[in-house]
Amino acid sequence: MRKSILETILDPHELSVRFQPIFQIQDGARHVDSVEALIRGPRGTNFERADILFDYVRRKKAEAAVDQSCLTTICDAAKNLPSKLRVNVNVHASTLGRNSEFVDFFLGHVQKQSLAPERFTMELVEYAPTCNIPELTNSIGKLRSYGVRIALDDVGLGQSNYRMMLDCHPEYFKLDAYFVNGLCSDTKRRAVVESVVALAKALGSSVVAEGVTSNDDLLQLETMDVDFAQANLLCPAISLKDLLASGYLDDPAFWAPARRQTGKRNVYNLEQHREQLSLAAEQSSPA
Amino acid sequence: MADRVLIIDDDEQLVDAYRDYLAGGGYEVDCAQELEEAQTLLAHFSYSVVITDLRLSKLGFGGLDLIKHVRENSSQTRIIVLTGYGWPELKAEASASGADAFLRKPMRLKDLGNTIAQVAGGQV
Repeated sequence: MRKSILETILDPHELSVRFQPIFQIQDGARHVDSVEALIRGPRGTNFERADILFDYVRRKKAEAAVDQSCLTTICDAAKNLPSKLRVNVNVHASTLGRNSEFVDFFLGHVQKQSLAPERFTMELVEYAPTCNIPELTNSIGKLRSYGVRIALDDVGLGQSNYRMMLDCHPEYFKLDAYFVNGLCSDTKRRAVVESVVALAKALGSSVVAEGVTSNDDLLQLETMDVDFAQANLLCPAISLKDLLASGYLDDPAFWAPARRQTGKRNVYNLEQHREQLSLAAEQSSPA
Repeated sequence: MADRVLIIDDDEQLVDAYRDYLAGGGYEVDCAQELEEAQTLLAHFSYSVVITDLRLSKLGFGGLDLIKHVRENSSQTRIIVLTGYGWPELKAEASASGADAFLRKPMRLKDLGNTIAQVAGGQV
């Protein structure tokens, strides 16, 4: 009998991962701060698209099992990243709120792959309102004791609400693209972003703007004191191979002394980026 | 752009036969083996025609549930019901739930193509 989609997804070898850099955007320069690991489903299926994959997973109520499968795939890839680079991983709040198994699985798995837990930021996503908050905060406390940081994903939408901000004390607010697109020409969107930035600062958190689509919006975010941006405009989600070839990770600070590279700090340059990506694509094309 | 068709049936061999036949006729074909898979595909893609068996006991749900789900979410999608059992009673119930056409299994692939052409205006 053919494997079901869920059975397929639960095999970490059927999943793949892309990495999208998160850029620090203050002071006019665009330095890579960290990368978000983004899962793709079984190749060649409708479920390769992450939105479809996770919609299905939520309908199956299989978030916890699939989060483990995704983490396995990400850790396998992350061991090839520079050893000082921070990696963001998405996890459902309900997975952390259900029991502490996921935290133990995470700690065991990063140890197995010789990855330092403090390199990781857990991005909490949630669509269901029935998350067990006490268990969630216990899990977050345990993760924090190992140096893991917390980001609240999709701020402004769904369950990423004020209560989650207070209960989870996230180091990062990830502002959804809905509020960012067209920011520079929309006073109402600016009002929302200003309020989120003010709230984040008051709570001791940083703000990451997602889905920036224009340089004007990017400059507007910078003037509004937003700390980080993640967007296709700066760099799309790309394979590990392309990311390593892109030059974004040449900053010596990302590498342990033994693998330290020479070279100046990488500053975002669109033309340079395009050249690098086309070179990487050329190199990865089959002969 | 080709019409998109979703097939929901628990008989893998039949599904493969339907898919190959319809894909050969220029349709874009997706198949689902379970309710959540079908619901996910229906949420993300626009289907001209949904073909579903009424008795999906292996899959743990009934085709009538799916017909109601499709009808609640799209008035444009045409629904073709396949069944091999309890024909008259189920046909009446499926019709009331919003099914557009019916085929009794086993049927010829050509009949499936003709029925799709009738309900969706396409041809195989």
